[in-house]
Amino acid sequence: MTLSQQILQYLITGVTVGTIYALIGMGFNIIYNSTDIINFAQGEFVMLGGLLTVSSMHVLHLPLPFAALVAVLGVALIGTLLNIAAIRPVKDPNPITLIIITIGASIFIRGVSSLIWGKEPYPIPAFSGEDPIHFFGAVIQPQSLWVMGVALSIVLGFRQFFGKTITGKAMMASSFQPRAARLVGIDTRFMILISFALSGLVGAAAGIVIAPMSMTQYDIGVMMGLKGFCAAIIGGLGHFWGVVVGGLALGILESLGAGLISSGYKDAIAFGILLLMLFFRPQGILGKSKGDRV
Amino acid sequence: MLFTAFLSVLPRFLTNDYYLNVLIFIGIHSIIAIGLDLLLGYTGQISLGHAAFFGLGAYITGVLSAKVSFPPIAGLVVALVGVGVLAYLIGIPTLKLHGHYLAMATLGFGIIVQIFFKELGFLTGGPSGLVGIEDMNIFGYEFDSDLKYYYLVAVSLLLTLLLSINVVRSRVGRALRAIHGSEVASSVLGVNVSRYKVGIFVLSALYAALAGWLYSHYMTFVSPSSFGFMFSVKLVTMVVIGSLGSIWGAIFGAALLTSMPEFLHVFANYETTVFGFILVSVMIFMPRGLLRGIEDAILGGVRAVRGRGDEK
Amino acid sequence: MDSSPLLNTRDLSKDFGGVRALRDLDLDVREGLIQAVIGPNGAGKTTLFNVISGVIAPTKGSVYFRNEEITELPPHRIAHKGLTRTFQNLQLFADMTVLENVMVGMHHRSTGGFFASAIKTPWVMAEERRIRDESMEWLRFVGLEDHSATVAGSLPFGNQRVLEMARGLASRPELLMLDEPAAGLNIRETQDLAQLIIRIKESGVTVLLVEHDMELVMSISDRVTVIDQGHKIAEGEPDSIRNDEKVLKAYLGEE
Repeated sequence: MTLSQQILQYLITGVTVGTIYALIGMGFNIIYNSTDIINFAQGEFVMLGGLLTVSSMHVLHLPLPFAALVAVLGVALIGTLLNIAAIRPVKDPNPITLIIITIGASIFIRGVSSLIWGKEPYPIPAFSGEDPIHFFGAVIQPQSLWVMGVALSIVLGFRQFFGKTITGKAMMASSFQPRAARLVGIDTRFMILISFALSGLVGAAAGIVIAPMSMTQYDIGVMMGLKGFCAAIIGGLGHFWGVVVGGLALGILESLGAGLISSGYKDAIAFGILLLMLFFRPQGILGKSKGDRV
Repeated sequence: MLFTAFLSVLPRFLTNDYYLNVLIFIGIHSIIAIGLDLLLGYTGQISLGHAAFFGLGAYITGVLSAKVSFPPIAGLVVALVGVGVLAYLIGIPTLKLHGHYLAMATLGFGIIVQIFFKELGFLTGGPSGLVGIEDMNIFGYEFDSDLKYYYLVAVSLLLTLLLSINVVRSRVGRALRAIHGSEVASSVLGVNVSRYKVGIFVLSALYAALAGWLYSHYMTFVSPSSFGFMFSVKLVTMVVIGSLGSIWGAIFGAALLTSMPEFLHVFANYETTVFGFILVSVMIFMPRGLLRGIEDAILGGVRAVRGRGDEK
Repeated sequence: MDSSPLLNTRDLSKDFGGVRALRDLDLDVREGLIQAVIGPNGAGKTTLFNVISGVIAPTKGSVYFRNEEITELPPHRIAHKGLTRTFQNLQLFADMTVLENVMVGMHHRSTGGFFASAIKTPWVMAEERRIRDESMEWLRFVGLEDHSATVAGSLPFGNQRVLEMARGLASRPELLMLDEPAAGLNIRETQDLAQLIIRIKESGVTVLLVEHDMELVMSISDRVTVIDQGHKIAEGEPDSIRNDEKVLKAYLGEE
């Protein structure tokens, strides 16, 4: 492969991985927008999506599409349970307490998963086979196209949901002005519950669609979650298109760095980018800078 | 003072050398926890990357000892200076951030440092760790028994404790708590907020580095896996569960979390699950930490009894 | 006494995105007086305070204190020059006691640093005693000495406002800026506040206040400046301001 072909290959990998980061980051944004909480357990939704699909296939003997559906709904349910069990009972919601609670919840979920599924990796078959598609001297796995396709549908679906449907608009209203929303009859607690469910849904989808390419295992959630959160911050925390931009940027830069510089430092490069963003433009690529007012 | 007496007689009560080992670790973790409490509890700045400073302290002295046969005391000096400078440089841009952004920046820093531990194999021994670190000896005096090491750790802890209590009760401590209360009000009253924030960040990093030094020469072996995100989380947990803004709470939290795995060893596989469950439960039901929670419960009970007495 | 003002601003402007909060504002504060800044809502009064005290930087223009430019200085340096302020939405150190809040006020007038405090040198201990004693004096000055050990967050609102002023006084400013000190106070508390502000002036501190309560402003101010949409539209003694056409128009609104 020539250098330019190699770079193209890295770009393809980068876009694929970046799309996943964007999806995970979207999950963070949904909960952040409705509650100002950063859900450190988001990564576990990704992990559960993959593992529940595996179990649905092997234990319930469901074909892949139905197994995936069961898994996605299952994780959405787990998301709502997380909200009810760990977030709602909190009396004094200051940032430090909430960060620790969601970290604790993620540790708990990880622990339970290791008991159920053990610590080995599990494979999921690729959705439409593994014959690579040749593209200008580089190679695209069909699964990559699934990743991008699923992500695109979800992004467009959310655009539709939040922009056009009553429920979606009610959720946006609750996040901007909870008191006003309550006054017009919107049940903000229910909106928050939905946001956790949607977050679980999108996290699970990300986990299922990437699993055929990278195996799924009880502890993939940690890095996945962190990278997704990075994507959200890089693009602008809470910003809808920001996380897409942030995720793609992160994925591409990480992939190029790993390929051209060194693969051992892959995660260091990703977090290095995060630190640079936080130091020089904390509001992210698409976020607006805030002036502090007293 | 009482604590000093308590610490010095504690070993007599121990039936088993193994407990001494646990106490040494409690001591080491307490030192980090106190520093982190000054940063998190008093000044209100969160760090999810303090394991990095602990690891840097351990690795700097470890590498110097194993590769160039530096005596441990020299290793300590270099570790403290090195960590201090690094903490200062990273602290300046980092502490301009707040809330989740600050948490992520410290988290990112911690992960980057850990990756360097893994990748700089020629220096650090790579993912499998660094061997050949010298046993602790200070100016020729060898700490060749766990009992001697225990006293070394105890003395270090006492010094750190004393220093911290004095600082907390002083004008400096007031300024830190004021920053926690309102950064803008502190600044218009003359407090140089960023200097104090960076300063306390560096101090807490130095505490961690000292603990790393003690750890390194005790284990004579260090590996990157001990200094990751999970350990940083554990450190924050020690401080929060112990009670934020309470130095004794930090020691209590460190003791609790260090000895917990020992109790949970029976349920080896359940350790993570139980840890996560305890973490969430304590934060929901006793968000001010165990020490304060117990204090509140006792005071509540006293008030209730007194109230009943007044009614008669 | 020289005729130059204690504090003055020149062409002070501040933009927030598309919003012009301050527009070429020239303000003079004369020493030894109580001066008020009034104006309709959104006129830019709190932004003015934020810029003068160094909390935010102006887009254009400068601020001078005793003829020395302080525009670029950070708030803690400005405090050391002799200027401090209180806050409209109260920025108390809620978890610290009343006394401790005031003691922080004395921060820039003391020097006990990390090392001296860590080893408890005699002079640092003596300084601590001095800080504690003087802070109690300030509490007596404002009438809060009985609450010295109370946690600040649990004080009734009126007392909290007074505490913030005591804290500011403890830094011995030449100019004390009060941002809507009467907001949320009932009639009796406002009268007590008026008395307190007069006593502050009598102790030699110049007062600049932003206020909406017209009665309070008219009864205690020596000078009033009116701003509207970030620009000064009138200045003078309370009586002349009361009848000024431009001022009435600004408050009643115009099409």
